[in-house]
Amino acid sequence: MWVADHLSYVLGSRRYRQERRDEMPRYMVEREFPKGLEIPTTPQGQKAMLGVVQNNLTEQVTWVQSFVTDDHTKTFCVYDGPSPEAIRRAAGLSDLPVNRISEISILDPYFYVGAGT
Amino acid sequence: MLLEREGLLESLGERLRDANEGKGSLVLVAGEAGAGKTSLVRAFVESLDEEILVIQGACDPLSTPRPLSPLRDFAADPNAGLSGLTEEDKPAIEIFGDVLDRLRNTIRPILLVVEDIHWADEGTLDFLRFIGRRIHDSKAVMLCTYRDDEVGPDHPMRPVLGQLIPLESTHRVVVPPLSLAAVTKLVSDHAFDPRELLRLTDGNAFFVTEILASGEGLPHTVQEAVLSRVARLDENPRRVVEGVSVAPRSLEIEHAAVVVGGSLEDIDAALSAGVLISDGHGLRFRHELARSAVEESLPPARRLSLNMRMLAILEEEHNPDLARLAHHAVQAGRSDLIVDYAPQAGDEAVRRGSRREAVAFYRAALDHADELGPDRTAELRVKLGVELRILDEPGAAETELRRAVDHYRQSGQVESLAVALGQLQGALWNLRRFDEGWLAMNEAINELRPRGPSEALGTTLYRMAHNHMLARHGQLAFTHIEEARRVADEIDSDEVDWLVLMMTGCIHIVLGDADQGIRLLQESVERAKTLDNPYFLAIGLGMLGSGGGEARRYEAGIPALERGVEQGLATDADYSVAYNRSWLARIAFEQGRWDDAVTFADLVDRTTLQREGIAYITAMSALGRVRVRRGDPGGLPLLEEMTELARDHELQHGWNAICGRAEYHWLAGDPETGLDELAPAYQRALDTDSEWARGEIGFWMWRSGAIETPPDGAAEPFALQMAGDWKGAADRWSEIGCPYETALALADGPENAKLEALAIFDSLGARPMGDRLRKVLRDLGVDGVPRGPTKKTLANPSGLTNRQLEVLRLIVDGLDNTEIARELYVSKKTVEHHISAIYSKLGVDSRTKAVNAALEVGAVER
Repeated sequence: MWVADHLSYVLGSRRYRQERRDEMPRYMVEREFPKGLEIPTTPQGQKAMLGVVQNNLTEQVTWVQSFVTDDHTKTFCVYDGPSPEAIRRAAGLSDLPVNRISEISILDPYFYVGAGT
Repeated sequence: MLLEREGLLESLGERLRDANEGKGSLVLVAGEAGAGKTSLVRAFVESLDEEILVIQGACDPLSTPRPLSPLRDFAADPNAGLSGLTEEDKPAIEIFGDVLDRLRNTIRPILLVVEDIHWADEGTLDFLRFIGRRIHDSKAVMLCTYRDDEVGPDHPMRPVLGQLIPLESTHRVVVPPLSLAAVTKLVSDHAFDPRELLRLTDGNAFFVTEILASGEGLPHTVQEAVLSRVARLDENPRRVVEGVSVAPRSLEIEHAAVVVGGSLEDIDAALSAGVLISDGHGLRFRHELARSAVEESLPPARRLSLNMRMLAILEEEHNPDLARLAHHAVQAGRSDLIVDYAPQAGDEAVRRGSRREAVAFYRAALDHADELGPDRTAELRVKLGVELRILDEPGAAETELRRAVDHYRQSGQVESLAVALGQLQGALWNLRRFDEGWLAMNEAINELRPRGPSEALGTTLYRMAHNHMLARHGQLAFTHIEEARRVADEIDSDEVDWLVLMMTGCIHIVLGDADQGIRLLQESVERAKTLDNPYFLAIGLGMLGSGGGEARRYEAGIPALERGVEQGLATDADYSVAYNRSWLARIAFEQGRWDDAVTFADLVDRTTLQREGIAYITAMSALGRVRVRRGDPGGLPLLEEMTELARDHELQHGWNAICGRAEYHWLAGDPETGLDELAPAYQRALDTDSEWARGEIGFWMWRSGAIETPPDGAAEPFALQMAGDWKGAADRWSEIGCPYETALALADGPENAKLEALAIFDSLGARPMGDRLRKVLRDLGVDGVPRGPTKKTLANPSGLTNRQLEVLRLIVDGLDNTEIARELYVSKKTVEHHISAIYSKLGVDSRTKAVNAALEVGAVER
């Protein structure tokens, strides 16, 4: 009961902070891997990915999804997070490069379908 | 009978067992009035071994609480070992320190109980915050009860809870209402329907027991239940109960007979009927709800006469309790006594740091201005104005101070007039009405000058110099401080001497003589220590830190700011902590330690309650500028917000945000837009004597194409670059220790200088300047331009910050902590801090292991 009560307070205050700042902003993080990025589909690869997720947790950032170029030298990663600095700290913990961070929002082509008729 | 509280008691016991092992904690027991918080605490205390030392105190339900009431209870307990704790004139921070020492240097575990903290005065709230933040390494548990339903968003306790509850050593428990099962058990042999009783009382333990004790049909309110129980007493015991009801908290047994004229048998009858209880020294109600129900039911004449008798008794006491006297004087409606006791109680509250209570006492006295007379009224208005300013209510302070000023003008009391005008100027400054503030100061000075040297004249001249300094009008400030110095030589005042010394240092920095300014400010810090004046020490450190920072003399500024943070944390001076950290953020930004700048800015953001204050503006401006230089999103909106917040302030607070915006628009290829704010700021800068304002704002004017040559009196490195001497500028910037500015200057040079600049920008992670320079170099047809920053410079593999890497390199070089501190111009404590962060990031526990790990992952080279 002690723990639960304490947690609910902390969570409550966090909820408040998020409400005040609206939603978490979404970012596009561009990373360059001059030698190419290889993540083997082995236990090692799995461990590496889980490590990234764990590190993100400490900075309250969420890795939504990534796109990788065919030559594996560049990735475009969509992240939710409280600030660009949190994205950078999480990258530092996971030993990932950060070449550019942009704040983004969704632009959906089908949103315009029918708009001109 | 205590029902459904076993889990709570068990948890409390666990906290005490942890405390016995050196893991102290703060336990907050919340619940509505009558939920059974006090019963829980009492049952817990009774269950404890002899070995545990219990020290108890409580806050009062007086209309204006007694300052530090629970601490007086501690002092009065002969077993507590805290006698003399609340001696006259002892500063609050020393009192708190004494209690902390007691909790830390104990062999037996201590349970410190503070009841009803929702009634706490401001000084007690400071106490709770002070102990709550430090109790974790003591052998003590501090247990506080409060009515959570009475602590609304504007309650003065709210920010204190906000700061304490997130701490790991704080535990909050709620005393829940009784369940149907418990009510059923309690009802047992009464003829009540438990469901009906539960519905009526919502399971409130006090209400339930009160109804059961009254033994009649179901009443509608708790008051009704209490009064019906009192009504069944005989007349004499009933009079005892009524008498005790006018004494909030409790009535001393020896007083009870005098107040109510009852005999000891009558007192016993009231006790055995269960309406009153005795806690050793006094008689009290079982619950405050019962006391107020009885007090409110008294006929007015009866209430008046009881309060008059209380006054008579308290006045006889050797060391009368001023807050209690003031309370009963107000209750008795005796204006002659109110104007005697309330101002004294107010002064006492000021000494104890209970400002809100002081304001309430002064206002209670001012409600009887006729009785006070015009001179005492004006005197109280000045005192009230001072406290209101500190409580951040400058508008209300202005009203009081203007009325005092009017009186002193009419009566021709010049010294008092000058003091009131000085405070009025302060309130007007808080309200950003600078021109009216100058009128007030000029009036004071014109009245004082013809009368020759005095402390009031010296202080007023200092105040004028200070205001000119804030506006960076160095020459005007200098004229005034020189006159203040001549006054100080004629009079004998340590305070005026110190203020003159400190301000002269600040003014030298503004006038461009940083060496002399820093020397004088360092002297003022030393002298503040000799004078044993913590307020002066905080000002001296803040001035040395920010002055050194503004003049980019980091070797002097950083240690002062770090000491300022340490001192502020030790004394819970939260504003001072935020101010010093905000300057550490700004300096880290300028030194290219951007991760550190972000860390300091985040700390200010998370801990400061004043989101318009100067510390917040300074910190967020540094964060915004880091984002701009990294090319990260969110920089421009933040700088725009800070420009707005700083708009009515002196130029110094807005200039960073404004330069950051200009830099952003210049990087985006649209310098015109930046000029909207920059050009007016440039005019304001030319109106100052500040070389750094002229230099930096002038530099971005020049970069934006609005001027072609440096303004007069611009700081050297900026002036050199504007004059085309990129080499001289780069050398100066490199000496000062600003890598980004060094690279900006090198980027104006020929190819090889540009390549050098690019390497610096890449190592800083300054993407926009890096991209820009790459394009320039490619357009020039230069071979061998690095394609992009290497991964190693972007995020070094160990995740260490630049500063931590710097420390690590010095460790690898074999320096000890003292030598590293000297090398980096920081305190030894800060070095230890960095080292423990390095250990945890590298996952090691010793210097040797850190060196090996660092070499292994390539974080440093030998």
